[in-house]
Amino acid sequence: MSTNITPAERLRDAGLYAPGDAVLSVRDLNVRFNSENGVVHAVRGVDFDLMPGKTLGIVGESGSGKSVTSMAIMGLLPETADISGSVRFKGKELLGLSDKAMCKHRGNDIAMVFQDPLSSLTPVYTVGNQIIEALTVHNPTMSKQAKEARAVELLRMVGIPSPKDRLKAFPHEFSGGMRQRVMIAIAIANDPRILIADEPTTALDVTIQAQVLEVLHTAQEETGAAVVMITHDLGVVAGMADDIMVMYAGKPVETGTVEDIYYNPRMPYTLGLLGAVPRVDTSDKQSLVPIEGTPPNLALPVLGCSFAARCPMVSDACLHGEPELIPVPGVEAQTLGHKAACIKAEELSGNADAHKIFHAPPKPVSKFDGVARVERQKVLELKDVKKHFPLLKGALIKRRIGTVKAVDGLSFDIREGECLSIVGESGCGKTTTLLEIMEFHPDQVGEVVIGGVSNKVATDHKTTMAMRKEMQMVFQDPTGALDPRFTVYEVLAEPLENLGMPKAAIRKRIMELMKLVGLQPDHVNRFPNQFSGGQRQRIGIARALAVNPKLVVLDEPVSALDVSVQAGVINLLDQLRAELGLSYLMVAHDLSVVRHISDRVAVMYLGKIVETGDVDDVFDNPRHPYTRALLSAIPVPDPNLERTRERIILQGDLPSPLDAPKGCNFATRCPVFAALPAAKQEKCLTLEPPLASEGAQDFACFFPDGEIDADMLVVHA
Amino acid sequence: MLKYLMKRSGIYLIMIFLTTSAGYFLAVSSLKPAVLEQEKIPRPTPEQVAASFRGLGLDPDLNPWERYIQWLGGIITRWDWGRSPNGAFVNAEFADRVLVSTRLFIASIILTLIIGVALGVYSAARQYKFQDRVITSYSYLVHILPAPIAYFLVQLGAIGINEAVGERIFFVTGISTPGIDPGWPAFVDMVAHYAVPTFAMTIFGWAGYQIAQRQYLLDNVNADFVRTARAKGLTRNQAIRKHALRVSFIPVAQSIAFTIPAIFTGGFFAEAIFAWPGIGLWSIQAISLQDVNVATATLAYGSVIFAIGAILADFATTLVDPRVRVQ
Amino acid sequence: MTNIIDPIAEIDEARVADQDVVIGKSRIIFRRFMRNRTAVAGLFIFLALFLFSIFGGFLTSWDKDTIDPLNIGMPPSPDHLLGTTQAGIDLMALIVDGTRTSILIGLIVGGVSVLISAVYGCTMAFFGGKVDATMLFILEALIMMPAILVVAVATSGSGGLKDLPSWLLLIVVLLFFSWMGTARLVRSLSMSLMQRDYVKAAKYMGVPSRRIVWRHLVPNIGSLLVLDFTRGITGAILAEVAFSFIGIGIKLPDISLGVLIGQATGQVSSFPWMFWVPLTVMFLLTGSLAMMNDGLRDAFDPSSSSIGRAKTKIAKKTNK
Repeated sequence: MSTNITPAERLRDAGLYAPGDAVLSVRDLNVRFNSENGVVHAVRGVDFDLMPGKTLGIVGESGSGKSVTSMAIMGLLPETADISGSVRFKGKELLGLSDKAMCKHRGNDIAMVFQDPLSSLTPVYTVGNQIIEALTVHNPTMSKQAKEARAVELLRMVGIPSPKDRLKAFPHEFSGGMRQRVMIAIAIANDPRILIADEPTTALDVTIQAQVLEVLHTAQEETGAAVVMITHDLGVVAGMADDIMVMYAGKPVETGTVEDIYYNPRMPYTLGLLGAVPRVDTSDKQSLVPIEGTPPNLALPVLGCSFAARCPMVSDACLHGEPELIPVPGVEAQTLGHKAACIKAEELSGNADAHKIFHAPPKPVSKFDGVARVERQKVLELKDVKKHFPLLKGALIKRRIGTVKAVDGLSFDIREGECLSIVGESGCGKTTTLLEIMEFHPDQVGEVVIGGVSNKVATDHKTTMAMRKEMQMVFQDPTGALDPRFTVYEVLAEPLENLGMPKAAIRKRIMELMKLVGLQPDHVNRFPNQFSGGQRQRIGIARALAVNPKLVVLDEPVSALDVSVQAGVINLLDQLRAELGLSYLMVAHDLSVVRHISDRVAVMYLGKIVETGDVDDVFDNPRHPYTRALLSAIPVPDPNLERTRERIILQGDLPSPLDAPKGCNFATRCPVFAALPAAKQEKCLTLEPPLASEGAQDFACFFPDGEIDADMLVVHA
Repeated sequence: MLKYLMKRSGIYLIMIFLTTSAGYFLAVSSLKPAVLEQEKIPRPTPEQVAASFRGLGLDPDLNPWERYIQWLGGIITRWDWGRSPNGAFVNAEFADRVLVSTRLFIASIILTLIIGVALGVYSAARQYKFQDRVITSYSYLVHILPAPIAYFLVQLGAIGINEAVGERIFFVTGISTPGIDPGWPAFVDMVAHYAVPTFAMTIFGWAGYQIAQRQYLLDNVNADFVRTARAKGLTRNQAIRKHALRVSFIPVAQSIAFTIPAIFTGGFFAEAIFAWPGIGLWSIQAISLQDVNVATATLAYGSVIFAIGAILADFATTLVDPRVRVQ
Repeated sequence: MTNIIDPIAEIDEARVADQDVVIGKSRIIFRRFMRNRTAVAGLFIFLALFLFSIFGGFLTSWDKDTIDPLNIGMPPSPDHLLGTTQAGIDLMALIVDGTRTSILIGLIVGGVSVLISAVYGCTMAFFGGKVDATMLFILEALIMMPAILVVAVATSGSGGLKDLPSWLLLIVVLLFFSWMGTARLVRSLSMSLMQRDYVKAAKYMGVPSRRIVWRHLVPNIGSLLVLDFTRGITGAILAEVAFSFIGIGIKLPDISLGVLIGQATGQVSSFPWMFWVPLTVMFLLTGSLAMMNDGLRDAFDPSSSSIGRAKTKIAKKTNK
């Protein structure tokens, strides 16, 4: 690569780098890995320029090469990787530098924040030690006091309370969100010019995600660094990024300004991705845009357009030669210039409708749609269900030192044909609620009634079996939910054999199920690991439906799936509900998905429902401060809206259910409480607000719609 | 922390009591010293034998339970672990035996540990290269070689060297030459006796540490936190040295504490082959002499060493892993 | 989803009825094992030794009780392929006998201890609570007992066990101390398996516990058990040699490799073949098992490098 340097580039090498130039320019970056199945061409020609102080969002699904690109820039790929092309920092070539030479830049000029904060810090060193290490590497002469002072300053900057004491804490004493803040502190320790954030909030709850994104924003303002934000979530980058690069199968398929990409996509893949994401802020009741199929195998040569196999607009011309990333005709060049790698870019101009192009199915209509809720039968009812775990201490003789109220007095019902979603941060008790329902045992505290059968009378096997036929479950992780040693046939046969169905009938039913969930019936002999994630989830759904249940419990059914696949599964769930008259009880952390799929929603906080009602009422007019905060934390894939809207940033993490205060559980983090006069605060601290009906929904707050504390409100203008 | 260790010690004390008691019953019901006495010349009458054993607290006419109570009573009231059929007191010989064992093993334990861990780190750093293949294959080879045969082969080698030189450089058995002059000659004699057993136990001992250390380090070299360290500006080697190595010590520290007692109690083979009258050899001899009390005492010693090792392992883990530090 | 053609489904039903799939699974493991050359070599050596230990008697016209007064302490010769002992007994006959004892001890101890540990471990994991705590305590107490002492006491004592042949006695004692580690592994593995979503799914379907254990737990710990079986054989053979070598394992008149090696130590310089021949046989035996173990581990390991190729082959097959 270095043999054909242009004269202009030679000038830059000689130090004639102009300040207005890109701080990072990547040209024709290619990365190949050796694998069992041959050479995988993971990154296939990435070009971009990153301007000082700007933010570039790299968007793509898993396997699109976005993370490999960032690792290649950092020089962190294994030695066995074959990297070619050019990566220039302020005009200086970084590719081909030795590990040692590259170390001068890493952490000093270019810093990085990784995805999983739980494993990214060394467990045996204190947080202070790890921050100071970053300072020592690049400033060997700095005094110990100066380094410590700087570390405290950094921790304060990323919003860690009492930073001086926390220097001596070990990573395991921090929550995930706090650890990610520490990671950011380490990254900005030496005022880098470039900050690469690789899915920095994917592993975190929405409220914590909002906090961390805010910290990243502050970090960028403080250091003036250019940011590369790598994500699969179109919402996360909408408000942050200046430019966007969409990657597919190792190649950028569309680049442009945020506005170009979000409001005027010219590549069918981008268009599909934008249509595949449900919106939390609108109640559009139409199907999502499904992108059928899976990305190509990068161990095989790509002959035509890499997206051709999944593209609804595909024509013969698409299969001959891969389209170049070229400027979109008829658009005047901006920072990056709006470019797309599609021969049909021009056809997509104007208001292309993703739904039409991708043949999104019509919104299915259920037979229950016209029936008023009160006239439908209850399929599930919970009456004051509680699950308290004793917190024990001691090895031989255990002392009870407290009670964890994981679920604390839950009552709700689900009617035929409706979907109720339980939402809340992890640790709020939503999964425990599902487990309590699935457990269905007479010794439980509170009553669970499923299809008219109460857990209080479920003393014999027959009653339990009757209930199991009424209700089935779909799990979060489609891989873990299927026994790797079972074929799909065996997976689906298990519930049917258990009912004592004859062999011939089982076979017939399995073929039906495969068709029902959109899988090819001749794939029943395959093992789960021969399917993609989305297909595995379909198998999980087919298994749940095998015994014809009335109610399906969905535990985060799409959170482990890629965006484009997610849409297909959500559409399937929608369609099955309408066709089979199913009811769903869903737990999900993604409020956009919840809004799209549910009729009703219950917001949980520390084991209690704080607000519940019809999904549109709750989402459009949230009354409880927690619901308001939760909703405002969801990023929307709409740059203009995202830049101007107000956001409530909750302080701190979800407290342990053990420390639950006497009055309102939420008072410790409540943005309304913080703004209340002391006299009114007293009421929140001493009395527990009941879940009462007011307006369209039920909520548990004394001061709904209250003034939000200014410190917790953020607007990026 | 102290409270925790006390509690663990308590649990192990109960276990030691149970295993020792079980061992006593096994010994008392299968070892019959009277049978050996009958082979003496002049042959004593059964009555004479019974009478002499009664005087030693080894009355063969009592049932196992009665003898157990008698034996346990002696330990609890007088810390007296009983006597051998030849009249010797167990307590008297015990300390000497422990000292001999400790002297035999201490050097090789330290060497094994240092060499094993060092080679583990070295081979992990050169994974799949020539050096790694040689070192690791050797460790696997040692696994399929029974310890006594390995020691015997080393003895053969030492004898071969002696013969080749034509002079007795190494002693392949025994602790020291009787009647040697103190000072320099005694030191040379000691080294000559130490060299072969220590060498044998070391070269066949480090394999386990080497494989474990190599594996744990390899598990950590691609860990996320190593990547973080590199992203800060450390070179790959620096990041591994400072971060991965330290974390990989956590399981190794635990296993080391556990294997030290295994070396002590499993040292029968070394003591038998190299003829060092340590505690292991004592226990084997005791069994062939049908000596119930000595057999039980050595078994109790083994259990105690094991318990100490387990507590040490806990302690070592809390030392290297802040996550389990008790606040 | 819309382009379903019924004939495909019919063909498929036929294929499912053939139970083609179930055979496929063990075939994958077998194929992966056979791809590992070292492992196959190990298997062949082991099988050869096994056959030798049974039919090896035909290679020599002498048996282990007959003294050849004309050839006392003779090195290998056409008459005695492996030479004779200083008592004039054909070494080949002794080796055949010793190998058989060693393999027998290995197979029985390896097999039975795996069985005990599987039952014990699964019971602990399945019942949990107090049962688990008690059984774990017993387990740890047994681990604490120095095994060698108990071996020595049991094989040298003059109690009731003395009436057993020494090889059977050694088997009983080795069994007693060989299963604890695996039992602990089985316990923790089953416990983590019970937390898997697919086990929960089966539970929520109302599948009875017995069936869950049989269909989900046992197959998933199966690979661990097979591996432990080969490891157990190696361990038992090594233990036998070590114990017999220092004179507390197998006792004459029973013959084992350990006894032969141990007996020969006194005359290594004068009768070297008596020492090196049984030692070589022992090495071949334990070495072949170690080689097999390596291949088995790869065959079972879902993350092993050979799985990729195996998977694509299967995929192609079912695709047709």
